[in-house]
Amino acid sequence: MFEQLVDGILWDIALVIFFVGILWRIIDVLRRGTRRDLSVPRNSGVPGAIMANIRGFFPRREIAPRVRMKVIAGYMFHLGLLILLFFAAPHVKFIAEHITGFSWAAMPYWAFIVTAQVAFAGLILLWIHRLLHPVTRLISRRDDHVGAILVFLVMLTGCMALAEISSELRVFHRFTVELLMIYFPFSALMHAIMFVPSRAYSGATFGRRGVNL
Amino acid sequence: MAAENRHNSGRVRKIVLFCVFSLLVVVTVPLIPYAIDAYAVAGKQASVEKVAALENPAINLWNDVRQRNERTQGLTQVQGVDSGVLINKAGEDWRRFRVEQLVPYGAWFMGGILGAIVLYYLLKGTQMMPGGPTGVRIPRTTLNQRTAHWFTAGVFWLLAVTGLILLYGRFVLIPILGSEGFAVTASACKEMHNLFGPLFILAVVAMFVLFIKGNMYNLGDLKWFAKGGGMFGGHVSAGRFNAGEKTWFWLVIMFGSALCVSGLLLVLAALVPGREVLSLAHMFHGISAVLLIAVSFGHIYLGTVGVEGTLDSMTTGSVDAAWAKAHHDQWYAEMMNDSAAVEAADQEQGSGLVEGGVAKPGQAPGV
Amino acid sequence: MSTPLERGVETLKAQVDARVEAYFSSCTGCGVCAEACLFYLESGDPRYTPIYKTEPLRKVWKNDHTLLGKLSSSIGLSEPMTESDLSDWEELVYDGCSMCSRCSMVCPVGIDIAYLIRKVKEGLAAAGFVPEGLQMAGERALELGSPMGLTEKSLRNAISGLEKEAGVKIPIDVEGAEYLCMLSSAEIVMYSEYITALSKIFSAADITWTLSSKYFEATNTGVQKGDSGLAVQLLERMVKVATELKVKTVISPECGHAYTTFRWDGPNILGREYPFKVMHILELLDQLRADGKLKTSGSFDERLTYHDPCNISRRGGVLAQPRQLLNQFATNFVEMDECGEMNWCCGGGGGVSSNERAEPLRLKVFNIKKRQLDALNVSTLVTSCSNCRTMLEEGLEHNEMENIEVIGLTELLADHLE
Ligand code: SF4
Ligand code: SF4
Repeated sequence: MFEQLVDGILWDIALVIFFVGILWRIIDVLRRGTRRDLSVPRNSGVPGAIMANIRGFFPRREIAPRVRMKVIAGYMFHLGLLILLFFAAPHVKFIAEHITGFSWAAMPYWAFIVTAQVAFAGLILLWIHRLLHPVTRLISRRDDHVGAILVFLVMLTGCMALAEISSELRVFHRFTVELLMIYFPFSALMHAIMFVPSRAYSGATFGRRGVNL
Repeated sequence: MAAENRHNSGRVRKIVLFCVFSLLVVVTVPLIPYAIDAYAVAGKQASVEKVAALENPAINLWNDVRQRNERTQGLTQVQGVDSGVLINKAGEDWRRFRVEQLVPYGAWFMGGILGAIVLYYLLKGTQMMPGGPTGVRIPRTTLNQRTAHWFTAGVFWLLAVTGLILLYGRFVLIPILGSEGFAVTASACKEMHNLFGPLFILAVVAMFVLFIKGNMYNLGDLKWFAKGGGMFGGHVSAGRFNAGEKTWFWLVIMFGSALCVSGLLLVLAALVPGREVLSLAHMFHGISAVLLIAVSFGHIYLGTVGVEGTLDSMTTGSVDAAWAKAHHDQWYAEMMNDSAAVEAADQEQGSGLVEGGVAKPGQAPGV
Repeated sequence: MSTPLERGVETLKAQVDARVEAYFSSCTGCGVCAEACLFYLESGDPRYTPIYKTEPLRKVWKNDHTLLGKLSSSIGLSEPMTESDLSDWEELVYDGCSMCSRCSMVCPVGIDIAYLIRKVKEGLAAAGFVPEGLQMAGERALELGSPMGLTEKSLRNAISGLEKEAGVKIPIDVEGAEYLCMLSSAEIVMYSEYITALSKIFSAADITWTLSSKYFEATNTGVQKGDSGLAVQLLERMVKVATELKVKTVISPECGHAYTTFRWDGPNILGREYPFKVMHILELLDQLRADGKLKTSGSFDERLTYHDPCNISRRGGVLAQPRQLLNQFATNFVEMDECGEMNWCCGGGGGVSSNERAEPLRLKVFNIKKRQLDALNVSTLVTSCSNCRTMLEEGLEHNEMENIEVIGLTELLADHLE
């Protein structure tokens, strides 16, 4: 019963909410539009927007020592999660069967374990840091914590199901994934997509003025 | 604003307390009936052995197979460690140890400590700060130290819960979940336990590096022990860490390392020659785990409801002067001389800030 | 539109545009921005975290522009805005932020936080939560034409004094001049050497220029206060005199926010392009240098450094020019450890300098500059913003570092003309 629900209708609902939600959020930004900048530019804004999107991945030298922990843990978690998402053997199989129709090389078991450990360490550290640092404690909202916990649960159930001995664990994992997908478009998790236009807007503004963001 | 922050930290504290206590209850309560049961099983086993000692014509062959008297090795074409052994005595010893000693005594030990703590709490209640909080804050831990602490705590409890389920689940969970349900749970727990294990190695190393300073024993600690740490009244003098805290630190480092090494051996079983090494590793793993879990109850108790104001040092990073004076008088005197540090922590408290933010540019704290 | 709260909330609602939406949608609450802000770092108070200063706008956006927010507002679940959501932020935004934009440079998801804070100011100003000093400056700017209360008469007096004293000719209201130079009040009252320097430089380069008596003020209190209506009125005056005098280029003086306001934000605030060009005085000087019209002689051998005004460097893009100009004659020019687009603010931008209440905090955050200067051991500090200059002088005096002389770049250059 639960299994059918999770594999069937709930999955469809989650998919729709996930994609429609994200699309709607993006359209909501674009719909508002920005007025054409009437000042005479020093440089074109386009390279600025592109450069800001690239440079944003690296902390500025001036503050790097002060944010070392956030950057390292952040990369551990984000890279780990991305790799798990696209290269874990069960995921590759699932994507090939349900979405793309073709597959690619999956990670060996040991690589999966190591990646998961790195990602978990990153996530746990980030969350502890969020709770302990006076700044992040002040500016974090329920949304941020719910997002962190949901992602943690998704990863945890995924690893629990690793032995693939029972369909219960697989279903449980898929269920948490569906919760995450439904929650995603309404939450701060949207940063995974919105960072692109954000960096582009700022990068273009500064780029027009001849400043590298 | 400040009041609101204090209110918030009160709420956080309540949540932490609630979580810790529900964890304790969940982990230990189901063990108690089992431990009684296991005791009865052990009794029965003993009477069975007496029967086996009777004369029997085939007894010699069987004794050889069972390797009762000496280690005998048969011949076989199968290559591998112990492949010529029909029934491995070492394996049987290990099984016996696990079922007859580790499981019941572990349960008694953990339950006993928990009971003692509850009893102590009922008798003594929370130890309040003498004279109440002064509002003067003294910085006690850095952001890195606190991060390492909670990282260790988090990983430790993930491992403890999954480990205890693997150790006691057969007896406690099968009645609830059924065999199949438990099989699933156990598989999940095994995956999680193996996954998080290596993170615990990192945690122990981080704890060692960040907390070693101030945790070396000195002569004054003997006095502290002699007075029972002030548990039964009387004033005890202590520096930055008292002898109890130092002992907890070294227990974590030593038994934590034992857990790491033995755990690694068990995970990489395929690379380990010989069953004896593995059963030994398992023994160490079980004993160290039970010990650390039991002592951690005491640690958690003292850090939360046991002594007012202690939790602050691991949440906000600063403690009240009254707390410092009562429990760490020598350290308190040192800190009061360093008035600049106290002032900084004081200011932060007013705005809800604690450590971590006060470092100046150019003196990056490396957080 | 009756109560202050309603006015504030309505104004904030109107501020939400695509950028605000994208920015708030992508903030992860990582706290990196705090590590770039001098107010947080020097005070140690997490409430000075840049993104926290935008809280009123974020709340309005959340309640009014997101699906979940709208849903929960409609069933009464969301926390509605209260007056303290605005009044509590007055101090954070006006006293605890110099609009230096340093935070905007470091946000991992690329949020231009200063842009958001500027919008928060609109809401606070509409609700009337503005520090007294800034409020008064705005009124004086509107009534008298200058936030310091200077009038046409003060200008004329100052100019005739200068002409007598330095023996230079200072043209006023010359129609058809190539350049119209705007001024900041401080340059008339305290740093009139700047005007003398202009005259020397223009005559050396042999180009026509003029001041305007009708409206000379370059600063824009409307922008500092967050009052777009006021900003528009002040900008219109500038456009009017420039058009009437038929100049080709308007020169923004040594003033940071005047430059960003004129050069970059002005056309957008007004909603139309200018019929003339706007340049910062340093841009012009550097162009003249490149064209060979501005030759220097002699050298300045004392150890000196350049303080980048945030609005000219980071938000204005005038980064290479001051360095090229200085390198012509300064033989002992050293840079601060963090300079150019990542400079540290003097602490007095964004209207903080007009806000007496903020003085203790401002002097506290000056410690960053103090440490930077201590590390360099310079005897001269060059800058190109009269507001920075005042702030630097006050800060140095407060820290008993008067052995360092603060001077404007234009002035220093004029002293080394061929
Ligand atoms: S640095 Fe950017 S993403 Fe991080 S808290 Fe500040 S504004 Fe938000
Ligand atoms: S603009 Fe400058 S002062 Fe204002 S919040 Fe950002 S870094 Fe701080």
